[in-house]
Amino acid sequence: MKKETITAIILGLIFGGVVAVFISLKSKDIELSKNKVIAPLEEKSSSSSLVGAEMEPLEISEPANNGIVEKDTIRFKGTASKDSLIVIQSPIKDLAIKNTQGKFDLEFPLALGENSIKIVVYPKEKQFRPQEKYMKVYYIDSEL
Amino acid sequence: MKNLIQNTLFVCFLITLLVGGVVGQTSSSSASASPTVVIDKDIQQLKDKIANKVSEIRKENNKAISGFVLSINENKMKLNNSEDVNQVKFDDTLTKAFKVLGTTKKEIKTSDIKKNDYAIVSGVVVDNVITANVVLIDENFLVDSGKITEIDKENYNIKVLTSDKNTYSLDIDTGTKQYLINIKTLERETIGFSKLKEGDMAHFVVKKVGDEKDNNYPAYKILIIPQEYFIK
Repeated sequence: MKKETITAIILGLIFGGVVAVFISLKSKDIELSKNKVIAPLEEKSSSSSLVGAEMEPLEISEPANNGIVEKDTIRFKGTASKDSLIVIQSPIKDLAIKNTQGKFDLEFPLALGENSIKIVVYPKEKQFRPQEKYMKVYYIDSEL
Repeated sequence: MKNLIQNTLFVCFLITLLVGGVVGQTSSSSASASPTVVIDKDIQQLKDKIANKVSEIRKENNKAISGFVLSINENKMKLNNSEDVNQVKFDDTLTKAFKVLGTTKKEIKTSDIKKNDYAIVSGVVVDNVITANVVLIDENFLVDSGKITEIDKENYNIKVLTSDKNTYSLDIDTGTKQYLINIKTLERETIGFSKLKEGDMAHFVVKKVGDEKDNNYPAYKILIIPQEYFIK
């Protein structure tokens, strides 16, 4: 066989291979673009109803957890979702208020010694779960 | 620790200045009366500075811990808590102990503290040991909340499932303070056991003594948020 014929056969094989790979990739793309995902209607509608709905997390800037104070009252300061119900409970006090502003600043009494306090926020939007925080504040009288 | 050393060095420096001032004043007091007044003022300012700094350092390093007493002897005790610090050292000249009786307190000796007492300790922590300034012997309260899942009308008991999947069994007795939130006014109203319903949210307080079984407690106080609040 002539040298030119062998070169032509090799080049032909290479070109053929390249064309075959290109066609195979292209046909895969076309197949993928034609595929459709069928989802249940309920799932689709529930996800669309939560679009844009974000709840402001409960943040407490004051008092500090495990903090020591010298007064028998503290102020709970922080933020929670607007129009949520805030419940603060300790052995000596129960407080339930509607958080109309988003920010809150509430006076809360303390007992001498350790004060175990639980704060629960019930959001206005019922699809969200209540948010909870637990803290201890120590009231140690400065005269002790 | 580094901070403590720095603060201690600062206080030592201030004390050195104060001592220097006092020595200086002594040696120059015979010279004239007017410089003494100025030095007195300086000394007072220094004294105030030192007092403020000492109070600041004390506040910075002051911590409070609590727990049931596991063991106790003449000058130390160990508390059972999950914190890093649970060793308490007593200082004869510094440590004061009190028993909390409702809204009042009664001074006691550290030797009056017994095993299984619930102790609240405040003091300075060094190397995971707290040197007690104050020890308060009090009751231990647990505060939590959850949904009422079961009501046993015969035994006056309710089961409450919390958000962290704990189920509490609460005995409601004559001493239990029972309140309900009025869904219109959000005011607290006193109620009886018959007003409790499955599905209501219960915020509760119980006294822990340390040997409870199956999460069963006599309820000290419950506050109910009726389920109607959430469906209005």
